[in-house]
Amino acid sequence: MTDRVCVGAIAGAFGVRGEVRLKSFCADPEAIAAYGPLWTEAQDRRFEVSITGVIPQGLSANLTGVATKEQADALRGLRLYADRDALPPAEDDEFYFADLIGLAVMDTGGARLGTIKAVLENPGNDLLEVSLDGHGKTALLPFTQAVVPTVDLEAALVVIDPPEGLLPD
Amino acid sequence: MTRSVWKGPFVDAYVLKKAEKSRESGRNEVIKIWSRRSTILPQFVGLTFGVYNGHKHIPIAVTEDMIGQKFGEYSPTRTYHGHAADKKAKRK
Repeated sequence: MTDRVCVGAIAGAFGVRGEVRLKSFCADPEAIAAYGPLWTEAQDRRFEVSITGVIPQGLSANLTGVATKEQADALRGLRLYADRDALPPAEDDEFYFADLIGLAVMDTGGARLGTIKAVLENPGNDLLEVSLDGHGKTALLPFTQAVVPTVDLEAALVVIDPPEGLLPD
Repeated sequence: MTRSVWKGPFVDAYVLKKAEKSRESGRNEVIKIWSRRSTILPQFVGLTFGVYNGHKHIPIAVTEDMIGQKFGEYSPTRTYHGHAADKKAKRK
């Protein structure tokens, strides 16, 4: 499981009073402020975020330690990370994308097939994009009980039982 | 304008044939189709279709709530990876 999750980025200054334009990557954009102090990628700074409004490019916000437009401009492009523990627990049979990405993919016989590269939101069922070992190819798997019967976050693996033709030969 | 009810739902004939064949064989396989315009019928529930999006076949496990929609609605033609952030996937 990852320790930190990228939840947003600073797009530049907003106004002249030290506010920033914040791009939120969260499902509910304003939830970014609820995940406690946010860290930079290098983990050398952390900010408390308070949202001041919704603007066309995202959100306007105040960050602790940022009081002037110059300071806000200097942060442009900075990505913000939340502690994984700050995210609320997922419900039964619900998994954070961030937890699934990077898990090993095994078949029902215990042979390793690859790694989860991405999770794609799809209207019918979410899809796991699996990077296959030794192929250089990827395969898409529907994230259903039938195809992915086991998700073991402790052991960092998923067991799949794909229908014929889903994985390349 | 909606389709006249007397015509019944539209399904390409080859999709029906392939689905029937797969159901009869009882094999767990992906049915590759190119017909995005076909309607999802009740007899397709439980089958997995690979619906072409112009690039590759997107696997769709058909469930009851998809009945009446078109296959193409479940196979987006544009991919947006985005950021994982706090997004959650539900296993259906």
